[in-house]
Amino acid sequence: MSQFELLRNVTIGQYIPTNSVVHRLDPRAKMLGAAMIVLTVSFITKVVPILIMFAMILLIANISRVPLKYILRGILLGLPILVLVFTIQLLFQGWTEPVGRIYLEWGWLRVTRFSVQLITVGILRILCFIFITSLVTMTSTVTELTHSVEKLLNPFRRFGVPSHELALINMIALRFVPTLAEEMERVMKAQASRCADIDGSQKFWRPDKAARAYLPLTVPLFINAFRRAEDLILAMEARCYIGGDGRTKYVVLKGSRRDVVVVAGTVVFFFLMVLVPWPSARSVLALVGLTGL
Amino acid sequence: MLKEFVVAPIIRLENVHYSYQSETDQPVKALDGVNLAVQPGEYLVIVGHNGSGKSTLAKHLNALLLPAEGEVWVKDWNTTDPRHVRDIRSTVGMVFQSPDNQIVATIVEEDVAFGPENLGLPHSEIVRRVDWSLDQVGMTPLRHRAPHLLSGGQKQRVCIAGMLAMRPQVLVLDESTAMLDPLGRREVLDIAYRLNKDEGVTLIAITHYMEEAVAADRLVVMSEGRIVLEGTPRDLFAQAGRLRELQIDVPQVTQLAAALSERIDDFPNDILTVAELVDTIRQRVSPRDGRPAPAGAAESPAPPLPERIIDIKDLTYYYMYDTPLQVKAVSGINLDVCQGEILGIIGHTGSGKSTVIQHFNALLLPHEGQVTIFGQDVRQNGIDVKSIRRRIGLVFQFPEAQLFEHYVGDDIAFGPRNLKLSREDVRARVKQAMQSVGLGFEEFKDRITFGLSGGQMRRVALAGVLALEPEVLVLDEPTSGLDPQGRNQLLDHILELHRTEGLTLVLVSHNMEELARVCDRICVISEGRVVSIGSPAEVFGRPAMLRELSLGVPPVTDVIDQLHHTGVLSNPTTVLNVDQAVELLVHLFEAEPGKVTD
Repeated sequence: MSQFELLRNVTIGQYIPTNSVVHRLDPRAKMLGAAMIVLTVSFITKVVPILIMFAMILLIANISRVPLKYILRGILLGLPILVLVFTIQLLFQGWTEPVGRIYLEWGWLRVTRFSVQLITVGILRILCFIFITSLVTMTSTVTELTHSVEKLLNPFRRFGVPSHELALINMIALRFVPTLAEEMERVMKAQASRCADIDGSQKFWRPDKAARAYLPLTVPLFINAFRRAEDLILAMEARCYIGGDGRTKYVVLKGSRRDVVVVAGTVVFFFLMVLVPWPSARSVLALVGLTGL
Repeated sequence: MLKEFVVAPIIRLENVHYSYQSETDQPVKALDGVNLAVQPGEYLVIVGHNGSGKSTLAKHLNALLLPAEGEVWVKDWNTTDPRHVRDIRSTVGMVFQSPDNQIVATIVEEDVAFGPENLGLPHSEIVRRVDWSLDQVGMTPLRHRAPHLLSGGQKQRVCIAGMLAMRPQVLVLDESTAMLDPLGRREVLDIAYRLNKDEGVTLIAITHYMEEAVAADRLVVMSEGRIVLEGTPRDLFAQAGRLRELQIDVPQVTQLAAALSERIDDFPNDILTVAELVDTIRQRVSPRDGRPAPAGAAESPAPPLPERIIDIKDLTYYYMYDTPLQVKAVSGINLDVCQGEILGIIGHTGSGKSTVIQHFNALLLPHEGQVTIFGQDVRQNGIDVKSIRRRIGLVFQFPEAQLFEHYVGDDIAFGPRNLKLSREDVRARVKQAMQSVGLGFEEFKDRITFGLSGGQMRRVALAGVLALEPEVLVLDEPTSGLDPQGRNQLLDHILELHRTEGLTLVLVSHNMEELARVCDRICVISEGRVVSIGSPAEVFGRPAMLRELSLGVPPVTDVIDQLHHTGVLSNPTTVLNVDQAVELLVHLFEAEPGKVTD
């Protein structure tokens, strides 16, 4: 019934405006903080610290008041990767020495204490990545992110990083996503009105035919996109655009002490997680009386 | 005229020539010796058919194009001098045709700031200018909105604000109202006029809409890269014959005045607005009671129409159905399309009329209610959607945007080939379809699609639907963006098909004059509901309702309606075209002794 409604499924930059403390942080602080957390999580190899990190991310999610179901939807996105990581670790890590205790052995499939640790850390690591990155996009608008990318890259401009151009390209791309989606919808409807089969009923063993069936959609879309680009160039030139040099900025990002504390906090966490000799999960469980693992 | 010697022109074009490379590799002369001086503070309108060189001229005004020969001066700056490009472009602001393709940023206020940012202004000054510009165009409440959520008129207002933020002395509107609906056009024009009057901004508008030309201080007509006529709108529109040669429309009110001046002694032929014409007639005719309405303008009830092809009952449709963003697009629509009729549909952009016509060929299926096409309920299982879409041809607005084949013939054959017809049948249908839109088969079938002019591409797209041999043709704004000649040609071809083949037509349009002239029935849609449906006389006979919906009526209908309200005509009468109005008014003047020459 809604085979033509494309925007319904486009959820780019799902901004969830709950106006929490996290939302009001400087987007640069959020991006740097998230980067630090990603770095920390990548360095952790043990179960306990990664559980602490995971708990911390859930805490941030709680503070940001983003509904949990939106964050959990991110897992769905990462599910194929999770399954892949799980299978690979399960199949190949069982024979890596030292194995520790062997829990299960069946044919050449072997589950050891070591492989269980790797699987747990691997899966939690991916969950942390998904959660923290989606938290950043859910609590900052795309425009904020674009501006902070530009600001963060600005120091590298002298080494030839085109920070302004990258940000502008990003911004224009985002600006035209809804426009082109609408256009795609219109072209699909127009070709369907000419009795075209656009429902993907082509046989998958004839990719040439399938590709040909998409031409009536992609050719007009590209031609229109090029035409739009030409118009946009003229409009930008008419507004005196000649590149990034000598431009000033309307949007000024103002960091506060809070932002510095957040970033500093994540740095502290990094050293805490990576350098402290955390006890193993087994010894923690032993503390609560679960022994013999 | 003395003024010209006292005040230095703000823009001067001296013998400007310009050619561009065409698809066929032959240089096309776009400007051929143009001389023009624009005075500070004036409102100048440039008209001319498509390809007359007016857009090329506009792009010379702010150094987007540089003359191949001759010179363009903006204040004291020659446009070929690269040192002054920024000065020139911030002095001459330009707003283009497509509102979507001019906005850079993802937030309104940031887009407005784009120009001042490029000029390298200090932050506090940018903020001041953004605030001021948004205020000027009345967009302050929407300053944090994303542009794609705005209407066409609002987007153009943002574009104007983006230009104003550079504090230009000249504002060029390069067909900026062409893609807007009447309401959006009004929004943009009101702002432009006010800037011209109150802020002293020089306004240069390029347009196909003669209502915009009427308000100008000076009118320039271009043809074949030259300025062929120049003068006040009043002087120029009086030369109806010459304008027709140059493929320029004359406002309907002026047409009516001209027709009256031929029949009535010393009736002026240079009247431009409805109010002016009403006043002129009132001065010449004393109000009298009991004047009988002539029979010609009276409405004969439409004969009962035969078969219903499309029957819509209580249709309700939602966008983003079953998501948190669900919006009701139309509700409780009752509408039918009958065999052999011409049905007109009017309504603003966003009124739901596009949603309704997409139900005509089962592109959309109703969420509530019933749609019956050729006696079949479209929600039945196993319905042959393809056969419905073949029998009911739907042509979208700007259909040339759906062309994709390299050769014209192949593109038109796309539909018939989807029907799995034989080669001979496809060829016969392509030939037939091309002929019915006035494109010679042998001449055009092997032409490259994207090398055609806009009007030709429009006709190719129309032929692409006609090749399906539909029984009903649904056209969404078929003539929008075309010049008067292209508009008339296209409409003539469509009406010819109606006459000869008995093709049923559904026309969605903003052009009330056109609809009043050709339709059997008119349906008015507003805010997702059918507010009125009936013969043109019935619908346009309620001008108050249409005005309330800001839809308007044809100017002649308006004139007669106002004459009735001011007591000159005692019986309410609805006229739909110039001829009817002339008959009625001549009849009125006959009662006044010695006024009619005949």
